[in-house]
Amino acid sequence: METRRTFIGRGGLAAVGVISGLTGAEQVRGLSSQAKPAMIIDLNRCTGCQACVIACKCYTGTAPEQFNTRLILEVEDTRPPRLIFTPVQCNQCDDPPCVPACPEGATFKLDNGIVVTDWGKCTSSGDCIRACPYGARFADSRYGQRVDKCDFCLARLQAGLEPACVEACSSGARIFGDLSNPRGEFSDYLQNRQLTVRKPEKLTKPNVRYVNAGQGTVERT
Amino acid sequence: MMMKKSGKENQFSPIRRTLLKGSALLAGTALIAPVKVKADSQQIQDPRTMQPTAGLQTDSDVQVVHSVCLGCNARCGNRSVVKEGKLEKYSGNPYHPYNHQGHPIDYATPVMETLSLSSPVCAKAQDAPNYIYNPYRILQPLKRAGKRGSGQFEPIGWEQMIAEITDGGRIFAHLGEKRVVEGLQQQNSDAPIDSNALELGPKRNGFVFITGRLQSGRKEFIDRFVKGAMGSINRIGHTDICGLGFRMGNFALTEKKQVELKADPWGSEYILVFGANIYEALQPGVNTYGAAVAARHSSGKVKFVIVDPRLQNASVHAEDWLAVKPGQDGALAMGMIRRMIEQELYNTKYLRAPHPGAAADLGHGCYTNATHLVIDDQEHPDNRKFLRISDLETKSTNTNKQDHHVVLAADGSPVAFDTVDEALLDRETVITADSGRTIRVKTAFRMMKEGVMEHSLAEYAEISGIPCSQLKRTADDFCSYGTRAAVCQYHGAGNYTNGTYAAYAVAMLSCLVGSVEVRGGYLTAGGGMAPPGKGLYDLQDFPGRLRGKGVRISREKACYEKSSEFCRKKAETGNGYPAKRPWFSFTKGGLSVESLSGIDEQYPYPCKVLFTYFYNPVYSTPGGYRYRQTLEDRDKVPLHVSIDTSINESNLYADYIVPDVTYAEGHYGWLNPHAPALRFTGIRTPCIEPLTRKTADGRPYCLETFLIDLAEKMNLPGFGDNAISDTAGNGHSLHRAEDFYLRGFANIAHGAGVPSASEQEVAFVERNYPVAGFKKILSADEWRQTCYILARGGVFTSYEDVFDGENFKYGLERLALYNEDLALARNALTGDFFSGTLTCLAPADSAGNILAEKDQEYPFTVISHKMNVHSQSRTTSHRWSMEIFPENFIVMNKKDADSLGLRDGENARLVSRSNAGGIVGKIKTGNLIRRECVAVSFHYGHSQLGASGLPIRQAEKVFLGGRQVVDKNGLKPNPKLATGLNPNRISRLDEHLADTPMVDLTAGIPDFSSTRVKIVKDSKA
Repeated sequence: METRRTFIGRGGLAAVGVISGLTGAEQVRGLSSQAKPAMIIDLNRCTGCQACVIACKCYTGTAPEQFNTRLILEVEDTRPPRLIFTPVQCNQCDDPPCVPACPEGATFKLDNGIVVTDWGKCTSSGDCIRACPYGARFADSRYGQRVDKCDFCLARLQAGLEPACVEACSSGARIFGDLSNPRGEFSDYLQNRQLTVRKPEKLTKPNVRYVNAGQGTVERT
Repeated sequence: MMMKKSGKENQFSPIRRTLLKGSALLAGTALIAPVKVKADSQQIQDPRTMQPTAGLQTDSDVQVVHSVCLGCNARCGNRSVVKEGKLEKYSGNPYHPYNHQGHPIDYATPVMETLSLSSPVCAKAQDAPNYIYNPYRILQPLKRAGKRGSGQFEPIGWEQMIAEITDGGRIFAHLGEKRVVEGLQQQNSDAPIDSNALELGPKRNGFVFITGRLQSGRKEFIDRFVKGAMGSINRIGHTDICGLGFRMGNFALTEKKQVELKADPWGSEYILVFGANIYEALQPGVNTYGAAVAARHSSGKVKFVIVDPRLQNASVHAEDWLAVKPGQDGALAMGMIRRMIEQELYNTKYLRAPHPGAAADLGHGCYTNATHLVIDDQEHPDNRKFLRISDLETKSTNTNKQDHHVVLAADGSPVAFDTVDEALLDRETVITADSGRTIRVKTAFRMMKEGVMEHSLAEYAEISGIPCSQLKRTADDFCSYGTRAAVCQYHGAGNYTNGTYAAYAVAMLSCLVGSVEVRGGYLTAGGGMAPPGKGLYDLQDFPGRLRGKGVRISREKACYEKSSEFCRKKAETGNGYPAKRPWFSFTKGGLSVESLSGIDEQYPYPCKVLFTYFYNPVYSTPGGYRYRQTLEDRDKVPLHVSIDTSINESNLYADYIVPDVTYAEGHYGWLNPHAPALRFTGIRTPCIEPLTRKTADGRPYCLETFLIDLAEKMNLPGFGDNAISDTAGNGHSLHRAEDFYLRGFANIAHGAGVPSASEQEVAFVERNYPVAGFKKILSADEWRQTCYILARGGVFTSYEDVFDGENFKYGLERLALYNEDLALARNALTGDFFSGTLTCLAPADSAGNILAEKDQEYPFTVISHKMNVHSQSRTTSHRWSMEIFPENFIVMNKKDADSLGLRDGENARLVSRSNAGGIVGKIKTGNLIRRECVAVSFHYGHSQLGASGLPIRQAEKVFLGGRQVVDKNGLKPNPKLATGLNPNRISRLDEHLADTPMVDLTAGIPDFSSTRVKIVKDSKA
């Protein structure tokens, strides 16, 4: 079976994600070059259905038992008790601890804010995995322990498509948008809803934000 | 695929942001422009390459098909992306309401403009490539090569198999079986199956065809073979194990007209969820019903309360939880109804409207028989029936009114129901007929009320396990939303013995507030857009067509009192009871469990040839382990042919296994909506070529090819040359699946009156759809019109299209507070009448023993449920889902676990009266389940589908995975597919009925909620 994750030097396949290669296409479309993607997850809409998790798995083909996005399931001891689902993934932090942690400079932030890992430079030291306060990074044993994580489906974004998890979200809990030019529901959420982030005390400035389900502590970002 | 350099990119379809202004779909998506990375960015090695997508389908090696999913029976739309012939991914279909919370894009939108639109679909569909390419799929026919159940099979040639199944004979002589097996041909006879009981029908009925996961399309095809060509009445569905309980409640309420009604998730303000797993299962599924409720909940438009012994995923947004005792949903509903009666919270004006016009004047879509008079008079020959004009005017010759029900006008005088706009509701009286005879009568409402008043509120609270205060509060709250409140009941409500009455009471709640068939209320489905069986081609009738006659082996919809057995016993003993096994005159049917029990007891006649399709009763039926004995027995099942994609716990006992395709390769079909509300016909069509091997003339091994070849071999009517006629009377051959289904699609397109597809859309279909290879079956004009629905995956309307103001346009006319047919049906084991209205009955065995009392020494009750990433029995192949949830658990309340000294993660054994050996699983404790209950999900605890090694000859040629799953001994066991436990393996059997699985005596409902167990620490842990 053909793997979606081809790599230089593996089986003679040289597939390089040429990120700068799309300039021409975008000029054709005449679209903004300043997009700064971000995600808001409204837990009042999340049904815990796992569609995003499997869609991500199908799209990104992560290592077995590893996920670029997953759901944290917690029981809240209210009356009556209830389950709370929190979809989590790389937060594409504005101040990402993984970036300075990498001795090789293999992980860095693109101009659009997405944090990527260059597998051409990754030496599998694992420092970035330890640095991430969210457990969003993991080593891929199939590729020499190089480090994988969510990249907001960068290739799909370049093609003008939403991330796979956002497409799969049937209740609209995952709201994706452009911070540089917020529109529609994304803009409405930015302006009018109380948004929170995971582990605000880490001061990482995440670009994945949340609306908490029902009551619960929230903080303004 | 790597990202391609410019040149190709210019052909990419950009997102069409301007396309669909104002549509709900667009509002939620496409909010970001394509991302650009600064031109001077360094090139990096990306961990992954770009998966093909529909939006980029102009790539020459990518195909896109809009079709219908079968990850589960919710049947959402899907869009496949196929690259170089291989299915890469499914997403949703933007035309399909099920993928968009009821609000899809405009149906007229040209298909090329939709391909970049996002469209969601659930986790099961996202995992489907692992199901389609499951290495444990079988590719060629197998014949048993050892004892039944030994797992010894060997490949057999297609034509040899067809000949053996047709002709029978000493086909297992090489295994030392001397018996002569009757083939299908021997069943093709009009001789009576039992010359002492002609009512049982012809010998043809010895051919029994039980269907598991059947869908419209294949249903008509199988019926054509079983009923039309072979003339057997025994094509039996599996509605019983699917969820007959709640359906029977609706069946009683609607006088057999409908079985599925649900709260309108788009319009209701309050939903009382009875045993419906709205965020994890249901039909419509999680990405329709659950998503719509969650989205509306988030903006405060709807609130909902869960009635379930287990607090499900929907607890995240639920207002309250009523942790009802298993099997006591009816007691809770009746307690609520008592509260409604005592506080007069029901919709009095509505219930007093005695006919459709009167209800319509009040703004309701349907009326009730609440005011209609019922004869409650032992002396009267029509006792238990409705009082009719003919009972009062015995001398009248006015024939058109004779059958009319009678109501009491405001002054108390008896009049025909349609002559007054308001009638007395809560009365009983004595009426004198023109003959001078007096008749004691009660209104249907009074009959129901008497049933409800049999217990006090405190008793209902005690029986249901819900505190009185919570019961009252829920009733009061439910009644405070006018007609914008409804129940949503599903498998949990009523899937147990005596469940008919539980579900009837639950359904009655919506009826009493007047919300049935009203926007925001309790709605049926809107139906399909056009009949697939007629129009351009007649797919229903054909020369020589037979119709099944006699009594089904399940005894469903048959009246015991008309049987020879009854007459004989009555002549011998003066009382015709008991029957050997129950009969079910009042049921929706689809009684697979009673079919197998009938086969086991050879009652009312023996089965000679059993075909099973996509059906795994040993795994999926509560107590199905009992049927291993049945299927092993060569006298009870002389010939067993299974049609399936893989080897499961049941066809392990088959004589032949015919390989079938999956829904990516076949399963053509036309799929109408589930309740509630929507109106559409989805079209299921393949996206890849069949993976099974092919016949000499190039047709894939699958259900259709198999039945066609059997029929042609036996010269049966309805198949082969000139089997299908068009409107001009010309005959067309039925030699392959497409001959049938493509004509069905043409009928639908024609009947729905869709336009012809544009040239661009015809080109889209011809470029992408495997079925286009058969377009010559249709005329050029028919093909163009059919392309319109193929391109869109069906014919669709939107939620708003099904209402006329507040009224549902496709609704029922009448609801029954008292059901005459039910009141006249009898328990075939005792001769007792069933109640015609609500009554509070606890789950009991066939001898009437209340199980909660009889099995007291087993202190825990087992309940079961589905998970959002699985369908019932066939999804262990969902590799990614299995990474998230590699096993299931015995879920129990922490306080119970503490008292037994059990801790999270420890192994424990569940032991029931019927399975002393029990089953072992890991304990998971918490506060999301009622005390004295344990919950075990389905899906796990398999011993087949790859879980066990099997000594299959030439196995590397048999299985799709080839050497990956095979070694020198045959199929290799895969322990990852054997994890967890299956709750059905400890279900209670009925010792009064040959130790077969327990069923409800009214309707044949299997019992999913009454098995009681002891929990013992597993010493091996």
